[in-house]
Amino acid sequence: MLKVNQLSIEINGKRIVDGSSFFVPRGRITSIIGESGSGKSMTISALLNILPAGSKAAGQAFFDNKDLLAISNKEMSAIRGSQIFTVFQDALNSFNPSVKMGKQLYEFSGRRIRHSVAEFHLKMDDILNDLGLSKAIMEQYPFELSGGMLQRCMIACALYVRPRLLIADEPTSALDTLLQKEFIELLKGLNEKQGTTILLITHDLDIVAEVADKMVIMHKGKVVEVGNVAEVFERPKNAYTKRLLESRF
Amino acid sequence: MTVKWIGKRMMMGVVVLLVVSFLSFFIMHAAPGDPATAFYGGNAQTLNAAEKERISRVFSLDRPITAQYGSWLVETLKGNLGISYKEGRPVITILRERLPNTLLLFGVTMFFIIVGSVWLGTIAGMKAGSILDKGLSILSIATSSIPAFWLGILFISFFAVKLGVLPSSGTGEIGGEGGFWDKLRYLILPATVIIFTHVGIFARFLQENIKDESRKYYVTVARANGVTEREIRKGILHNASFPYLNYIGMTIPSFFGGSIIVESLFSWNGLGQLTIKSVVTKDFPLLMGSILLIGMLVVISLFIIDFLMYSLNPKLRKGGVQ
Repeated sequence: MLKVNQLSIEINGKRIVDGSSFFVPRGRITSIIGESGSGKSMTISALLNILPAGSKAAGQAFFDNKDLLAISNKEMSAIRGSQIFTVFQDALNSFNPSVKMGKQLYEFSGRRIRHSVAEFHLKMDDILNDLGLSKAIMEQYPFELSGGMLQRCMIACALYVRPRLLIADEPTSALDTLLQKEFIELLKGLNEKQGTTILLITHDLDIVAEVADKMVIMHKGKVVEVGNVAEVFERPKNAYTKRLLESRF
Repeated sequence: MTVKWIGKRMMMGVVVLLVVSFLSFFIMHAAPGDPATAFYGGNAQTLNAAEKERISRVFSLDRPITAQYGSWLVETLKGNLGISYKEGRPVITILRERLPNTLLLFGVTMFFIIVGSVWLGTIAGMKAGSILDKGLSILSIATSSIPAFWLGILFISFFAVKLGVLPSSGTGEIGGEGGFWDKLRYLILPATVIIFTHVGIFARFLQENIKDESRKYYVTVARANGVTEREIRKGILHNASFPYLNYIGMTIPSFFGGSIIVESLFSWNGLGQLTIKSVVTKDFPLLMGSILLIGMLVVISLFIIDFLMYSLNPKLRKGGVQ
């Protein structure tokens, strides 16, 4: 579904990601793992064309045979609006503080698939309910909710739009252990029931072991190893991967 | 909630006015010179001690300052601001004549400053890195570092003296009908000076806010998830308006201060010029009246700004809960 080929990213002349290549197969959960600063999040930013000003990306990233790094802004926003949904790390800052949640959730979900506000409320109330959120939050502002609640709101939108590719950029780092577990279950469910392809960025090996089918290990801006989770855990080839796996036990 | 907030704000406004009047009353009395002498005008040197004492007694100038302030306050609360030493007319009447002129100058300049800066600042801020973005930064520094009085003199010498198309000073044709269009002609120069020296820095401020806001995390998240550019823009502008409004609120007091200079330069028949005149002639009742009125204008403008902020920013409304 997504094939990244020799992706390099430079920010103000400094190379952050260096010639990384990996593949995200359809209907599976792929995980990119690496310590902070290894270029995981920057890779995602490059794929979505949301790199900060002053940065350049080179290489190719094919999504359905379209090179995400070469297409026009218009095509990019069409893909971002209909095919891919991204859950970001910092849920507390993911929403506009001065707009009510209901309106923002609609923009993130119903509006994308051209549902009316009435349809949106009908469907979203159920989803929120399943996630243990009351529909009263629609009338609240983001700063009145906790990080965990906001992250669940984001997930609610992902469940609503059923994207073909769900990118989750360290989605659990702001959640407590209990919520983390719930979140992982949600991801698994989404993948199994709806067949959603998931790209999960994390630094947590336990999560990788639990949900991912494939893993991509990044270290200092380079992809050092790619493979099936079971195989890599069994027989790591790269020295850094070995060290990483050892640190787990 | 809102009613309570308005009530609180009004109380604060009253306290501010009390403090302002108290301070100005005491500063005025601490200033060198004697109101009794000033009352005598140009012939002050012929004033003998007995006469001076008599004036002081008649106007109660020999009483302690606190007592004087007390009776001034009581009369003011009754709506009586006293009688001008110089003009012999009630202060209220004089202020009533001057107030529309100041409001006209303030209203017109504020309107064009806000419209101009919102227009320039939004375009420049939304297109980071464009020519307008960089150009506005330079332009704003250039225009805001030009002193208003100097620009005023330049304008007078060019438009009034050289070209002779606009009047150099005053608020209307002497002996004319004093109609609205006549006044407008006299308004052009002073208003242009104030607008020109302010619009750049206001626009710059908004531009920087918009650029800061555009870099916020939630904007990236929204963009990455296909939220329409129109919605994103609306959100950015909404949030960038809080510090901008705050900035307007902060500059309003100095705005009235600055207009004193411009009003005097163009002999604009407003409160600013009146204040200067009453200081020079030591016309205490008139000075107190105009200071109080300017203070009221500032308090009211700030109240309007605060109310706008309060209704636009949910964080303020909800008491800043995190």
